[in-house]
Amino acid sequence: MRRSSGGGIIGEAAIETCKLTKTFASPRGLPDLLRRRPSAGGVTPVDGVDLLIRKGEVFGILGPNGAGKTTLIKILCTLILPTAGRAKVNGYDVERESGRVRESIGLVTTDERSFYWRLTGRENLEFFASLHNFYSDEARDVVDDLLGVVDLKYAADERFLTYSAGMKQRMAIARGLLNDPAVLFMDEPTRSLDPGAAQGLRDFIKGEIVRERGKTIFISTHNLEEAEELCDRMAIFDDGRIKVIGSPADLKASLGDGSKLSDVFLHYTGKKFEERGGAGGAAPGFRQDRRGFPHRVGGLGRRRGGV
Amino acid sequence: MKVGSMFATYRKALSFVKRSYILQMSYKFEFFLRLFFMFFNILTYYFVAKLIGTAGMKYLEPYGGDYFSFVLIGIAFSGYLMVSLRGFSESVRDEQMMGTLEAMLVTPTDASAIITLSTLWSFIFASFRVLLYLVIGVLLGVSLAGANVLAALIILGLTIVCFSSIGILSASFIMIFKRGDPINMLFMSTSELFGGVFFPISVLPSWLQTVSHLLPMTYSLNGMRHALLQGYSLRDLAPEIGALVLFSAVLVPASLLAFRYAVRKAKMEGTLVHY
Repeated sequence: MRRSSGGGIIGEAAIETCKLTKTFASPRGLPDLLRRRPSAGGVTPVDGVDLLIRKGEVFGILGPNGAGKTTLIKILCTLILPTAGRAKVNGYDVERESGRVRESIGLVTTDERSFYWRLTGRENLEFFASLHNFYSDEARDVVDDLLGVVDLKYAADERFLTYSAGMKQRMAIARGLLNDPAVLFMDEPTRSLDPGAAQGLRDFIKGEIVRERGKTIFISTHNLEEAEELCDRMAIFDDGRIKVIGSPADLKASLGDGSKLSDVFLHYTGKKFEERGGAGGAAPGFRQDRRGFPHRVGGLGRRRGGV
Repeated sequence: MKVGSMFATYRKALSFVKRSYILQMSYKFEFFLRLFFMFFNILTYYFVAKLIGTAGMKYLEPYGGDYFSFVLIGIAFSGYLMVSLRGFSESVRDEQMMGTLEAMLVTPTDASAIITLSTLWSFIFASFRVLLYLVIGVLLGVSLAGANVLAALIILGLTIVCFSSIGILSASFIMIFKRGDPINMLFMSTSELFGGVFFPISVLPSWLQTVSHLLPMTYSLNGMRHALLQGYSLRDLAPEIGALVLFSAVLVPASLLAFRYAVRKAKMEGTLVHY
């Protein structure tokens, strides 16, 4: 366990950042922009972050709303440019080799609007596959395979707008895996799911993406149990800074027997952790399928499973 | 560009067209409504032309003398400018609003390719409209018997390149300012008045005709009318083609630079997906 640092070279790095900083200037009006007048103040959601994440590792970043988790992920996915410091993903610099970075990563977000609602699931995935340079038969094969992986073949030809929240989230995972990325970024993947669906998704991430496919996963979460269940190591992140890094077990042990992650969070941030949503176990009225996805018992059945 | 890369771009373009086609066809009523009211638009000008008769002959003589033929080419091809001006900025805005822009920008496909290919469907639809305009025009008596199709296609190609560059400039403003794009407003408000869409620019006082000569629309419509209505040869059309090549030579690199700058600025400010 290290405090506030990523450290030196431990193994083959999937993600490496050094003093990574992002400051958003306060909005300026057109006159200021034309006069190139610097803006006063601003916010720094990522402040001197040092990280080293090894290949094959599941790394979690745990923090409250507004801690800067999403900004950090967006920088690593080349969607936002850093103000200072540097970051490498799969050995490629996020600023100078952004194209190479994007070829080697996948991003899973909770934003269900990031799909075309009037297209079917299959049409959506085939379109995004083309952006990853898969076309025709190759695209169809990749999409078909992934629809099977996320257990959505049965609804592949229905419009996305008919999907439940759980199905939409599985679509987001399928899209994130289109290019078979070495690193998969997941930004609060279970945020909009009920406890049963969230547990199913966590089981799927552990079983299929980590165990079967051996991906490096960088997951941001607002859920202590999720972090504990999924992550090899995790960072507690607050006010743009990494407060501490370590395995969940080490972090708890560092505070003595019987400590919980919420105690660790309180210790390092001085703030009480307020969790969003529940976790763990299949929710009442749900059963899990062979992949761990929950389905409503005696309700809408498998066709509207995933909930 | 390598052949493999061109082929990949072509296949990617097909994916964008397929996506847009499916989305458009999911709103069938709007699609057919637009076609229906386009027919009304043509009829309006047909009867206005009937009213005018030979009154404007002095100004219309260089274009064959018939107002309906003149205005038909004007409204049909000015559609490309409208598509260019609105298409690029609207595709940025639509993808921002739908929430799909970020998901696309995290793929290896370049941002400028995404924006350009997103507007392809609009250009295809505009071309379909132009064809319909011409077919209905012919049915209402416009003669295209002597048209120089090759010359018209060359002018069309240059027109699309020119107008698209203006559209990309416009999209660059949208990327940064989100609303209030001056390029769009400038070209939209001036091109119809000074570009010779509804009347020959010779109607304007000579000092205002100077403004017309600064707009690519003027050369595009002039060339198109001469090629389609009078069958001018490529040599006869050299002034219009030369002007459009010159505009393209300036506007294409300027628009690409502006767009690259806009994307970088939006990434710096973290506002890529804001609208």
